[in-house]
Amino acid sequence: MNGSELRRHGPTAGDAATRVHADRVTAELAAQRDRWRHGFTRRRVLAGVGAVGVASLAAQLTTTRVAFGDPTTTRRTLVVVFLRGGMDGLSVVVPAGDPYLPKARPTIGVPAGALLAGDDRFGLHPAMAPLHPYWKAGTMAAVHAVASPDASRSHFQAQDCLERGAASVAVHTGWLDRLLTALGPGTTFRAIAEGAALPRSLVGSESALVLEGIRDFALQGWDGVRERTMTALTALYTGLDHPLADQARVTVQALSAARRVASEAYAPAVSYPDGGFAGSLSDVARLIKAGVGLRVAALDVGGWDMHTWIGRVDGGDMLNQLNQLAGALAAFAADLGPALVDVTVVTMSEFGRRVAENGNAGADHGHGGLMLLLGGGLNGGAVHGRWPGLAPSALDQGDVAGANDYRDVLAELLARRLGVVDSAKIFPGHRPKSLGVFR
Amino acid sequence: MPPRDGPSTPRPVAPGRHRDSATLARLRQAGEPALLRLVRNRRQVLLGVGATALAGGAVGSAAAALGGGHGLAEAISDRAGSPRAAGAFADRDASYVQAIGDAIELGAEGLADTPSKAAAAALKATPTKPNPLSRDPMLHLLRRATHGPTRTALAALRQTGIDDWLDAQLDSSTIDDSAMDQVLAAFPTVAMTTAQIRAAVKEYNWDAMFELGRATLARQFWSRRQLHEVMVDFWSNHLNVTNPFDGGWDTRTAYDRGVIRAHALGRFADMLHASARSPAMLRYLDNADSHRRSVNENYGRELLELHTVGVDSGYTERDVRHSAYIMTGRTVTEEGEFRYEAARHWIDPVRVLGFTHPNPSRSKGLQVGDEYLRYLGTHPATATNIARKLAVRFVCDNPPQTLVDRLAKSYVDNGTAIVPVLDTLFRSLEFWIATGLKTRRPLENVVATVRALGIAPGSDAGAAVESLYWQAQSLGQAPLAWAPPNGYPDVAGAWDSAHAMLGAWNSHRALVQGWHKGLAYPKLEGLVGRRPSTTGAYLDALAERLVFQPLAGRDRAALLRFLDAKEGTRVRGPSLGGRLGHLTPLLFDSVYHALR
Repeated sequence: MNGSELRRHGPTAGDAATRVHADRVTAELAAQRDRWRHGFTRRRVLAGVGAVGVASLAAQLTTTRVAFGDPTTTRRTLVVVFLRGGMDGLSVVVPAGDPYLPKARPTIGVPAGALLAGDDRFGLHPAMAPLHPYWKAGTMAAVHAVASPDASRSHFQAQDCLERGAASVAVHTGWLDRLLTALGPGTTFRAIAEGAALPRSLVGSESALVLEGIRDFALQGWDGVRERTMTALTALYTGLDHPLADQARVTVQALSAARRVASEAYAPAVSYPDGGFAGSLSDVARLIKAGVGLRVAALDVGGWDMHTWIGRVDGGDMLNQLNQLAGALAAFAADLGPALVDVTVVTMSEFGRRVAENGNAGADHGHGGLMLLLGGGLNGGAVHGRWPGLAPSALDQGDVAGANDYRDVLAELLARRLGVVDSAKIFPGHRPKSLGVFR
Repeated sequence: MPPRDGPSTPRPVAPGRHRDSATLARLRQAGEPALLRLVRNRRQVLLGVGATALAGGAVGSAAAALGGGHGLAEAISDRAGSPRAAGAFADRDASYVQAIGDAIELGAEGLADTPSKAAAAALKATPTKPNPLSRDPMLHLLRRATHGPTRTALAALRQTGIDDWLDAQLDSSTIDDSAMDQVLAAFPTVAMTTAQIRAAVKEYNWDAMFELGRATLARQFWSRRQLHEVMVDFWSNHLNVTNPFDGGWDTRTAYDRGVIRAHALGRFADMLHASARSPAMLRYLDNADSHRRSVNENYGRELLELHTVGVDSGYTERDVRHSAYIMTGRTVTEEGEFRYEAARHWIDPVRVLGFTHPNPSRSKGLQVGDEYLRYLGTHPATATNIARKLAVRFVCDNPPQTLVDRLAKSYVDNGTAIVPVLDTLFRSLEFWIATGLKTRRPLENVVATVRALGIAPGSDAGAAVESLYWQAQSLGQAPLAWAPPNGYPDVAGAWDSAHAMLGAWNSHRALVQGWHKGLAYPKLEGLVGRRPSTTGAYLDALAERLVFQPLAGRDRAALLRFLDAKEGTRVRGPSLGGRLGHLTPLLFDSVYHALR
């Protein structure tokens, strides 16, 4: 934006920036209304980006000694996408031949003829089309009927259980926090969460960087006092015995690190769809390609609590949500290109939804849900785990039974992809069994 | 569409179930934590999944086989699927706090006759969690019972004294707020009924909702009924109907006025009753779409988990189902008004926790629901739930159980009236000893900055507040805008984020340097009355003006270094050599403003 454009928005640069920001948010609101049928996703669209490629910045950005480890696994990144609200797995990876499905879901059931080829038992919702090439190429897989054996049908409690990685209230930290401990020290960008708040999964003793877009992560105000201000901020929070001191340290470190990343001209290899989630993924891809030591990224997508209007295959909230999800993930995979092999994306949701639809073309809270996986090392193109089926005798209180434990999926992921073999430290009290999701 | 959820007879009550519940309530009130734990553990074993889950599955399948989902409540085993059985924290915020391990012994406890006596007694005790905030009780009261101290409010409080000030705030209609009313003229839909909004804005247009969000922000900045505004924020999150959302375009404003504001310092039972007749709530949690033939569980569940007894109160999935049955019939007309449609109501006996009703006729369904809501509103678990949340809001993130029990007892003893509970809170030593134990959330930080600076509505308050609204949104905390039904997190652990911290720092620069046009900003050069002659003295005066307390020596030294000055450096000009505009935000960035 040039000077005259700036003045159109406000008399000073700061005012203009504020107005431009407000205008942008307003425009997003208009554009995202449909997606927000069930409320905000909390994520804002990230700003557009510049041009050219990126040199590795890992060396300059290392603020702590990177742990010794297998170089194969230490360059790998785990991206955990939490689908908040309880995704209806039966609409996404559909048990095509199950005779009980059309009976239970006369309105919202995805007809077999509309499905994309999955494996011998399942088909994919047609909105998953952007991801279908990855499915067919073996870089995408799913696990159905996933649950925590303990989780209830309460959003809060089921999310809490999954994010702490245990049902027992004796486990206080989040599972990703314990994973970071197991991975050892790293860079400022070792763990990021995109958003305003800290996900429960990252609560604990390890530092995680919570931000909304690298490019926007900058101290505003006059450049002439920036260094002086940073020095003062550091001093104001040094020697203070308070959690805020740690937060300030992380923030100040990240400010200088983000400046270095943002100073490199950059454009994603593909254009991402609109939407906050796509913007966050674009940011994660940028950090991965920049080689800044990103090991764990936690992202959220809201809007899955479809008590009403899951809709039909050709219209409704599920179609809209899946278009967003699949479009963003496919762009992310394409953006990474060959680097996808060192990345694993896993989606989680607090529960699946009830098998029988309700009277509002929706479904109430259920139990067994769906996990999607995308990236390297997968036994792809398949739905893994035990599938209990939808026969009435197989249901758990009217819901898909929890035939597979989410911790089995994650433990296998950690062992095969991140070199964390002792999963008992991550999932206390759980003895994992292999589901064969990974090669 | 065929019926999918026909009436049938509930299972008999499990023996001992209600006795357990009553025992639990008594123990809670008696404050016997060890015993309580024992009982809870036993219940957890009783309610444990494992074997019962299998039984539940078998029963469920039998019922489902009969009719593809008919009679779901009966398919759900009475003992399986209780959220508590999963081992629940009281709520999300309690879970966050567990990871941080906050000390819950504060250093003083008990109840005094008056708030000022409690303040004096607490001041004599030693806090177990010392922090840099001044222990001045008046300052503490303004940090907690308002959206942030202002110079004017502090002066007024020092004049009236704690007890009279609180009396007035708790009877807020006695406080003249005419200046606020004038500002609200910039937000005309806030005064409108649903019918008027429907006439004033285009169908499904979000203008009225955004205006409500902005008006909420303006009231936090400038209303003189500050404790009322704090409670409005508290209840808006407790009974969250996110704003904006599609179903609120015409109805959300009436919810704010008729449910939250009307009862914020009234009786919770009345607020709950009103919320259950509110078109905005009934749409937000889908009850408007619920029908005896196709019951939507959303509202029935959150009514238990979030609005009243809480997830750890021991209700079962079957209770959730019955809760949803009871509320069927409460729907919303084409005109956005509440209507009870008897034809939609599910009949036959219902049972939720200790509430039972034969529920025999469609025409009486609304009354059954009202009785059920009264039962829930006055339930001891509801008392504990609300008491804990109030203590989290006003005292600390992990409040002592004795305080929670005391507040819960007050709630029960006073028939769910809020003012006596707040009176108990302010007479509690735990409140007064807890200086600085809360961290300002992003919005609280921004609002407190506006107030501390003394920024007033200016030439275009509407536009300026809009700009600030977007700033709050980018910080993840636009007023009323938390999407899920459980309200914004109220504990620091959830906001432990570089985004939040940097966002606050940036907002300080925007406010100090007057970036949001349309407000009346103070001249920075005039913040300190008579200009001190040395830089050290200037800094002290500025701190007193903006964070209302002295700085620790280390922090003074850091800011003097920022100014390239020494203690005795002469102050030559009104703007500290052009650095005043950059120094002032640093005071707000500091811990003295970050905590409350």
